[in-house]
Amino acid sequence: MAIEFERVNYEYQAFDGKAYLALADVNLSINLEGEFIALVGETGSGKSTLAQHMNALLTPTQGRVRMFGLTISRDTTRDKHVKLNPIRQKVGLVFQFPEYQLFEETVLKDITFGPRNYGVSEEEATARAKKAIHTVGLDSSYLERSPFSLSGGEKKRVSIAGILAMEPSVLVLDEPTSGLDPLGRKALLEVFKNIHEQEGKSVMLITHDMDAVYEYAKRVLVMREGNVVYDGAPSQLFTRRNIRVWNLDVPDVLKVTFALKDRFNLEVPGLPRNRRELLEAMREVLA
Amino acid sequence: MAYIEIENLSFAYDNKTTALQDVSLSVEQGEWVSILGHNGSGKSTLSKLLVGLLRPKSGSIRVDGFELSEDTLADIRRRIGIVFQNPDNQFVGVTVRDDIAFGLENLCIPREEMIERIEEYSKKVDMFDYLNKEPQQLSGGQKQRVAIAGVLAMRTDVILFDEATSMLDPEGRSRLLQDMKRLNEEGGTIITITHDMRDAVHSDRIVLLKNGGVLADDSARNILGDKELLEQASLELLLPLELMHTLQAEGLGDDTLREYLWQLSLNG
Repeated sequence: MAIEFERVNYEYQAFDGKAYLALADVNLSINLEGEFIALVGETGSGKSTLAQHMNALLTPTQGRVRMFGLTISRDTTRDKHVKLNPIRQKVGLVFQFPEYQLFEETVLKDITFGPRNYGVSEEEATARAKKAIHTVGLDSSYLERSPFSLSGGEKKRVSIAGILAMEPSVLVLDEPTSGLDPLGRKALLEVFKNIHEQEGKSVMLITHDMDAVYEYAKRVLVMREGNVVYDGAPSQLFTRRNIRVWNLDVPDVLKVTFALKDRFNLEVPGLPRNRRELLEAMREVLA
Repeated sequence: MAYIEIENLSFAYDNKTTALQDVSLSVEQGEWVSILGHNGSGKSTLSKLLVGLLRPKSGSIRVDGFELSEDTLADIRRRIGIVFQNPDNQFVGVTVRDDIAFGLENLCIPREEMIERIEEYSKKVDMFDYLNKEPQQLSGGQKQRVAIAGVLAMRTDVILFDEATSMLDPEGRSRLLQDMKRLNEEGGTIITITHDMRDAVHSDRIVLLKNGGVLADDSARNILGDKELLEQASLELLLPLELMHTLQAEGLGDDTLREYLWQLSLNG
């Protein structure tokens, strides 16, 4: 089972009346299980537009997206028999700054709002909320609190719990760690890793954080001007020489690794994935 | 007396929790100071107090000799310009030209001079060719540069960057940092509010905040290299510096290697 993009174009009209191509001939297959994907690329390259096609919030102007037995194309939205809501339950989309979307009196009500809308009983929705709040690393005492009394990082977690409570197969997060300090960022990335590893869900992160891409993602998609220009392993991406033409940057760990090799001929076996691995490798090389 | 003098500043959003507690610090003209701290350390509260968006519970803020109050607010806002985190929340004009003009209109600058300033400062941030563009045709980094041009055109003495790089892609970020560096070299006073060490490395001085208080106030080099201090502030050492400390603690590597790691962290 997968989400398949077939020659997808998405065109929109700007205020100046001109047409712009936000997605241009995108072909892509995303498995519903076991993926940890990072979607990267400069501002305006089409990342968010692509994400919104993954749960039919946007539909292609040309081409098709196939998922869950449906084929979504330009004509889909005009056909009253096609129900898109089930897709939106299966592909959970967490927008940028989700904390601005919290609105209920208590965290519990906020988290159960989504599943209740899909006809889940109050009892079942509450059970899901308890599980979800735990998954995002908060305890059940938060359920009775007002979402507005929480810190930025806690609010982000609560809004993610709200999506998890709908039990989606795929979780798509648009710049989930922006605005968080180093500890908050790391804690949240570990939450996504756990969701991916323990629940087997596919996770897709849209991010500018190359360190996170390198340490966490199994697959990386690079977008430029509406095209997917790279689809492969992060380690291969970051060892290419020309990623700056895509406005990407090399992760810190690799920057230091490469610099020490160039300057002092200090070579570590393999490529360290994170700080800890680099520190250990350098320790061994120098000892 | 320094250009900005903050004395015993305290602030609370409600009766229970204190956001800032007894903060004192000063900024000299031409300095680049970073206010560094974890989420909830009080850094954004401090920036809002500085430009009069919040009113202190106690303590005082002096800018260029004026004590901040309702009567002096307009004088102070003519001296400190602010660039916020989210590029989309601060673009008010229909086009780049209108956006830069907005602040000037508020200052009742004559039309002829307004046109000159828009030209001058849009060139300075390399956005002159974009004057007729609309915000949706710009990248986040370009919008931030327009915001800078808007502040520069008002000829404030100080520019405050409140996490202004945090939403940009890597290219936009490094470009914005270069602009800050250049403005500072040309004599501009810069305050950056951030939790990102990479934004703080270029500044002269760092004020480290923790739980609403000043934990340390020292040269950037001293603070960035102080592992224990940064851990206490719930922040992380830059990677080359962490490597440097690890090697030093275990007597590995030589001075050349350690100095190189220092330089590497500055170029981050």
